Amino acid sequence: MRTFWPLLWQNKVGLIGFIGLVFYLLLITVFQWMVGFDNEVKLDQINSPPGSRLVLLTRPEDKDSYTKLQDLVGHKVGILEKSGAPTFLEKSNVEGLEVETYRWRSGRGVPESLEALAAGEVDALIIFSKLVRRYVLDPSSRDYKVSLSHLTVSNPKLGPALLLGADTQGRDMFTHVINGGRILIITAIMAGLISTAIAFILGTVAALAGGIVDRILVAIANFIIVIPRFPLLIVLAAMITLNNWLLLATLIGLLAWPALMRAIRAQVLSLRERDYVEAAMALDLSRMHIIFREILPNMMGFVVINFVVAITTAMYDQIGLIFLGMAPINDYTWGVMLYFGRSRGTLFNIDSAAMLLAPVLAIAFFQVCLVLFSRALEEAFDPRLRGAA
Amino acid sequence: MIQSLSGPVDTRPWWQKLVQNYTLRTFVQSLFTVWAVITFVFFLIRLMPGNPVEIYVNYLMNTENLTYQDAYNRAASQFKFDPDASVVQQYFVYLGQLLRGDMGESITSTGTKVSSQILRYLPWTVFCVGSALLISFLLGMLLGMLAAYFRNTWVDNVISFLASIVSAVPDYIWAILILIIFGVQLKWFNVGDMRGTYDPATPPGFNLPFILSALQHAILPITTYVLGSIGRWVLAMRGSTTSTLGEDYVNIARARGLKQNRIMTAYVGRNAALPLFTLLAISIGFVLGGSVIVEEAFVYKGLGSFLFWSISQRDYTSMQGVLLIITIAVVFSNMLADLLYSRLDPRVRVTGDK
Repeated sequence: MRTFWPLLWQNKVGLIGFIGLVFYLLLITVFQWMVGFDNEVKLDQINSPPGSRLVLLTRPEDKDSYTKLQDLVGHKVGILEKSGAPTFLEKSNVEGLEVETYRWRSGRGVPESLEALAAGEVDALIIFSKLVRRYVLDPSSRDYKVSLSHLTVSNPKLGPALLLGADTQGRDMFTHVINGGRILIITAIMAGLISTAIAFILGTVAALAGGIVDRILVAIANFIIVIPRFPLLIVLAAMITLNNWLLLATLIGLLAWPALMRAIRAQVLSLRERDYVEAAMALDLSRMHIIFREILPNMMGFVVINFVVAITTAMYDQIGLIFLGMAPINDYTWGVMLYFGRSRGTLFNIDSAAMLLAPVLAIAFFQVCLVLFSRALEEAFDPRLRGAA
Repeated sequence: MIQSLSGPVDTRPWWQKLVQNYTLRTFVQSLFTVWAVITFVFFLIRLMPGNPVEIYVNYLMNTENLTYQDAYNRAASQFKFDPDASVVQQYFVYLGQLLRGDMGESITSTGTKVSSQILRYLPWTVFCVGSALLISFLLGMLLGMLAAYFRNTWVDNVISFLASIVSAVPDYIWAILILIIFGVQLKWFNVGDMRGTYDPATPPGFNLPFILSALQHAILPITTYVLGSIGRWVLAMRGSTTSTLGEDYVNIARARGLKQNRIMTAYVGRNAALPLFTLLAISIGFVLGGSVIVEEAFVYKGLGSFLFWSISQRDYTSMQGVLLIITIAVVFSNMLADLLYSRLDPRVRVTGDK
C-alpha cells in the first residue's frame, strides 16, 4: 500500500479513474446533501431543454416594479409554456408564489399572450421555454417584434437556469442526476461485497479443505457459471418481488461469485505451497490465522481488484434489470430515468435528449472510472504490468 | 526416429481407452451439466415463491371464468404435468418429453410449440450477435496486435485507453447513445423503420432486397455489440502478443534474420492468437444469452427479446425453453473451447495416460 500512491500518481489514466471515483463519492454524499431532489410537478417547464430559465416580460412602465418573482405575489401572471393546457385562468403556485395565472402554449399562444400583456390583461408574463423565448426575444425573428415595441424584459435572469432541462413533469433534471446515483452505487458496492466475500470464503475453503469439499464447491461454481447470468437474473427477478435494494444486491451477488471463486481457489492453492504458509501449518496455527494472516494479505491486491470489477458487473446487472423494468423503480435513479425514457417514449423525442443523456453519461462515466481504477490497481499490485518494464 | 514420432504404443484395453478418452469424457461431462441445468430450472420454476403454476391457474380463473378444476387441467396440459403426480414424477415426465425434443406448449399463445417459437427467433439472434462477434474478434485482434507491436508508444496508449473505455461502458448504454445521438438528434437513420428484424414488405427468401433489409435492421444492434465487446478482444490480444514477443523463439527468429512479416504472422501472430480462440469459443455460447437488453432497446425480435416477452407475459414454459437453449449453447461451446485448445496447441494436449 505504501507504494500505491506514487504509482497511482505516475499512472495518469488510473489517476483519472481515481479522481472520477472520488467525484462520485462526493456526488452521493456532499453534493446530494447540497442539492435537494426536485419532486414538484411544474407544468410550465415540461421537457425544457438544458439551460432554460425563467424570463419575466412586463410593460415598459412596470419595468422597475417586478424585479424578482416575489414581487408578483397577488398579481395576475401570464405563463407562456411550450406545451400544456390552453388559455385559462387559475390560481396557481409558481415557484411557491400565490398568483393568478393565465396560461398559453406556444404557437398561436405566443402572440395572444404578448397582446394580453400589452393590453394589461395580465401584469407580467413568465416565459420559460427556451424555444418560445427565442421567438419572442430574438431580434432576428420578425414575427413578434411589433408586440415587443411596447413591452420590455423586466428581468432576463430570474432564478438559476435549469442546467439539464426538465423532465416530462417539469422537474429539474439536474437535481435528479445528482440524487439518482446513491442507491445504484450503494447497491453495486453491496453486491460486489457479497459476491467477493462468497468467492473468497468458498475459494479458500475449497483450496484448503481439498478432497470432496473441494470437488463439490468447484462443481457448484462450474454449474452456476454455465447458466448465462443475465437471463437467469431476469427470470429470477420476475419471480421474486424485488422490492428493496438489499434484496437486489443479494440476488446479483449470489450469481456473480463463481468465476472469482475459481480464481481465488487457484491462488490459494499456489500460496499454500509457499514456505511461510507451510511453516504456519507446521506450527499448527489455527485455520483462521492461516487464512487471514498468511493468505489474505498476500492476495489482497487480487481480491481488491476483483472487488472493483464485481462492482462494475453489479452496476451492469442492476441497471439492465431496471431498464427492462424488472427491478424496483420507486427510487428515482439513473436506471429509472432510462426506464422511463424507454417506457414513456422520451427516448425518441428530439427535445428530451438531455433527459436521457445525463443519466447515460453518469452511468457510463462511473463504469469507465471503475475500470480505469481497477487497471491502475492491477499495475500497482503486479510489477510485471508496469509500463516501463 | 520414426518410432519416437509416433509415440509409445498404446497398450491399454479398449474399455480403458474409451473411459479415458478426453473428448468423450468432456462430452459426457457436458451432458451431465445440461441435465443439472434442466433439473435446476425445472425445480426453480416449480418451487419458487409465488408458484407459477398456481399463478397461472388463478390467472385463468380470473380472466376466463373457469372453475378451479378446469383452470387446473388447462394449466396441466400446458405445463405438461399430471396434477395428481408429485413434483418428482412430473420431473421425470418432463425429462422424457425433453428427450423427444418436446419443450411443451407456450402458455400464452395456446397451441404453439415452444420449440417452434424458439426456432423462429433464434436465427436472428445468431445472425446478429454472431456477425458482431466475428467483427469484434477480427478487428480486436488486429488492434491488439498493433498495440503490442507499438507498446509503450502513443499508438499503444491510445488503443489501450480507448479499449478500456469502450469496454467499460455497458452495451445497452451504447445502444441508447446510438439511438439518441445518431437516430433522434442527427437523424442519420429512421429509428422507427429499423425496428424488427426485416422489412415486412420484403418477404423472407434468398434475394437481395431481403438480405439488404435484414442487414439494415441488424446494423445498429451489431454496432452496439461490437462496441460493447471489442475492447475485451483488443486488451486480450495485446496482453497475449506482448507475452509472446518476449518468448525465446521470437528472439531467435529475429537473430536468424527472418523477415519481420514472417515473424509477425508465423511466429508471433499464430501463437498469440491461441488463447483468443478459446475465448472465442466460450463467447459463442454467450451469443444467445447476452442480448436481452440490446434487442429490447432496438426492438429487434430475436431470442433475447422473446425471452423478455415470455417473462413479462409470465409464459413459464417459453422461459424454461429459452433458458435451456441458452445454457446448452454455453455448455457445448465450453466443450468446444476445451477440445479446440488441445487441438490447436499440442503442448496442452491431454492424453488418457496422464
